[in-house]
Amino acid sequence: MTSETSVVGKSLPLLDAYEKVTGKLKYAGDLPAMHRMHHAKVLRSPYAHAKVVHIDTSAAEALPGVSAVITHKDDITGKKKTCGSPWHDFSFNFMGPMISPEVCYVGDEVAVVSAVDEETAKEALKLIEVEYEELPAIFDMEEAMKEGAPQVRPWGPNSLPPSLFEWGNIEEGFEQADYIIENRITLGNQQHAPLDRNACIAHWEGDSVSLWTSTQALFWIRDAVTDFFELSPSKVRVYSTPTGGSFGLWWGNNFMLLAIAIARKARRPIRLVLTRDEVQTTVKRRERPLIDAKIGITKDGKMVSQSYRHLMDNGAYGNKFDPYQSVADIYTTEHARVEFIGVATNLLPAGCMRGVGDLTLAYAIEQTVDMAAERVGMDPVEFHLKNHWKTGDICHTSQEVVFAKLLFNKNPTVELTSSGLAECITRGAEAMDWKNKWKGWGTPSSVDGHKVRGVGMGISTHISGLAFFGFNGITVKVNPDGTMALTTGIGRMGQAGDTTQAMVCAEVLGVELEDINVIDGDTEVCGHTMVTFGSNGMHMGARATKAAAEHAKEQILEYAAKHLEANPADLDIKNRRIFVKGSEDRGVTLKELMSTPIFEYLAAPEVIGSASKGVEFDKAGKMMMADFAEVEIDTRTAQMKLIKFVAVHDSGTIVNPAVCENQVAGGYYQSMGLSTTEHLVFDDETGAILNPNFMDYKLMGPLDMPDPEIMFEEVYDEDGPFGAKGIGEGVTCAVPIAISNAVYNAIGVRIDPPITPDKILQALKSKS
Amino acid sequence: MNAINLKINNEHYDVSVKPHWSLAYVIREKVGLTGTKTGCEMGTCGSCTLLLDGKPVFSCLRMAIDAQGCDIRTIEGVEEDNNGELHPLQEAFIQDHGMQCGFCTPGMIIAAKHLLEHNPDPTEREVREAIGGHLCRCGTYIRIVRSILNAAETMRNAQAGQ
Repeated sequence: MTSETSVVGKSLPLLDAYEKVTGKLKYAGDLPAMHRMHHAKVLRSPYAHAKVVHIDTSAAEALPGVSAVITHKDDITGKKKTCGSPWHDFSFNFMGPMISPEVCYVGDEVAVVSAVDEETAKEALKLIEVEYEELPAIFDMEEAMKEGAPQVRPWGPNSLPPSLFEWGNIEEGFEQADYIIENRITLGNQQHAPLDRNACIAHWEGDSVSLWTSTQALFWIRDAVTDFFELSPSKVRVYSTPTGGSFGLWWGNNFMLLAIAIARKARRPIRLVLTRDEVQTTVKRRERPLIDAKIGITKDGKMVSQSYRHLMDNGAYGNKFDPYQSVADIYTTEHARVEFIGVATNLLPAGCMRGVGDLTLAYAIEQTVDMAAERVGMDPVEFHLKNHWKTGDICHTSQEVVFAKLLFNKNPTVELTSSGLAECITRGAEAMDWKNKWKGWGTPSSVDGHKVRGVGMGISTHISGLAFFGFNGITVKVNPDGTMALTTGIGRMGQAGDTTQAMVCAEVLGVELEDINVIDGDTEVCGHTMVTFGSNGMHMGARATKAAAEHAKEQILEYAAKHLEANPADLDIKNRRIFVKGSEDRGVTLKELMSTPIFEYLAAPEVIGSASKGVEFDKAGKMMMADFAEVEIDTRTAQMKLIKFVAVHDSGTIVNPAVCENQVAGGYYQSMGLSTTEHLVFDDETGAILNPNFMDYKLMGPLDMPDPEIMFEEVYDEDGPFGAKGIGEGVTCAVPIAISNAVYNAIGVRIDPPITPDKILQALKSKS
Repeated sequence: MNAINLKINNEHYDVSVKPHWSLAYVIREKVGLTGTKTGCEMGTCGSCTLLLDGKPVFSCLRMAIDAQGCDIRTIEGVEEDNNGELHPLQEAFIQDHGMQCGFCTPGMIIAAKHLLEHNPDPTEREVREAIGGHLCRCGTYIRIVRSILNAAETMRNAQAGQ
């Protein structure tokens, strides 16, 4: 089913574009100072693992201008859970005290100072005397998992119990296979690296606290503050500004809690702004995976069994223990086993970053699938088309199943609502001219002197939100002139969440985008929306927005029916006007309706539409993508150059094509970073990050890569609003796969990202 | 503290500064013009770009105390320089979606404004070189470049029509 739309499907400008191009948009660091406000600075651990045996803050406290100092002695630990969601992955020390006497990574918090200005606060940090007793630190996942390994942090085991997904019979599955392909992969340590340095202002009035910060997780932070400070949710108000990029970084973080704690002690508003160094080294990074993959295939290229053991380096405080997405399901096999194990190390905590488990596991699957195709001599495109996931297939590893098991001991069936994978693969192959360029595995598509070229492909998928993310509460208030205010808890991080939600609302109510004013970022005003993550905005979020708009529409038609002396069922709204279907000259403009008294009430109508909607877990709306890359490697200099990149995405109906193109391009640039230059380097001895800035941690600039070719395969998703699915995270997932496979075909050696010249040189040497 | 006067977007501001304070810091924290963003504070991201005597500079690498007597133009002054209306670059960035999160946008527009003032008909390569020191972590380069090229065309047409 498709529908005629007048707003949805257009590249309308962002609602906040004017603020952005004039510099008027306020990020957290731009908020004006409050009366009596002081500034905070954090003293951080130089050790990867140590005990604070003695700390003396008296000299710091005595420094003129200092208003408060907090350390582990202040003993702030949330013991009461009021709002706990079934999932907590704060990537900070949420299980222990806010400031612990045992520091567990380089950069862990030791003390916080507030003072009249940042310089005084920095000066005071130098006056704090700390005596540490070093403890054994562990940086390697497999070392950390060994029996008798030193404990990484004061609570919990180093490796969490595996979360296991099994269907069919894996032993039988491998017995049925003619060939078994085994492979081990890893990726680099990517950092989210948004350009904005986050900031927050915390302020107490009596026993109520307000927090202003940039975030994609408005209510998650409200709930975390509620739990940590043992307050009622009614005493916590969080205001969020848009983020200057987030990509998963700006959820809850300790720095916000530290500001709240010291604001209470100093009895002043406190502002805490992170430095670039702190953003890079003390918030979080993508989990580094270490994956053992095993795939069984028959002689004719049919996948029959697959098993994966996926270790995730959580760093000191990350808490990942499951796949949260149905990644393994890009291929439907009768038998499978997937094991996910979160492992703690004394490194920077890790947590979600754009793509998350889909990116890591899809990378492992797809490298192995490429090897499997080679084993049976089948063109990878053909192999993909033969085995990939299709509409109506079961999503075995869906997160919902985990929580259904955990909370209700039930094991429901989850079905895929739509899949345009076949079309994405076919169109991508055509755009890449795969037929002519692909010459076989480990075989260059062309050789020009010392320059060799190769092509590669990869597919992936990503969720569009999941049931356990909770409900989205939305209201639509219609003004007397027919304009509207839409309140939503959606986070604004450059994905145009406000604009696209308003487009859905405008579409339902037959008005223009400019008629909608979006109100967001205030926990007391907006309905609960846990976090804008997992690409839930345009699927599950927009379903609630659409329902709220439909509720408003229902009321408008009721009033219009009185006005027009008609039956509400016979009415509709288009172009800001309500009319009788079939005799369209009988009608009333929305403005006239909303500003004209109705006889029965002697007053103009007041319309507020509202909806609170979750998604049912038995259906999974997932985006699909196929990426194709052509690379050139100079065998003399070991430099890699990207020649051509094609990205074909099925995100259902494309609500705003310009926004979606920007999303795909953004995912491409970020994952090209992951594939080539982006890698946080940890010192082997100390565990400290050696490249905590943009000089040494290289992001893609405007001159670094060719523009990708972007295409959309708009498969209407019956479950999505106007047929739409999510897009924001999936855009990163298949890029590294295509690059690695292309490199393999160019030089005949498989290299895991980051694919750097030194690795290429090693590979070339190993070959010759 | 040193009392200085800064001329920013044709307004004069009396501020007290320490010698080591950067121009970006003073403009944001003391003058209160927060359109100039500071992403890295070490000259690697381009977000804090403004025009100093007509030239684009990374204001995080300039000392405020050295900027006395200079003509400073920030993103807040771009409309003002265009008779209070949005500059064609700003219009183009809006229409062509030359932004996602918007954090790099002020710096991009300032750099592009300088480019188009000196080269009204740039090639795509020249546009990319003009913003070569600017990062966009959202990866919006395709549409940023398109916005600048479209603005250049609009400005050339307006010039030809006069």
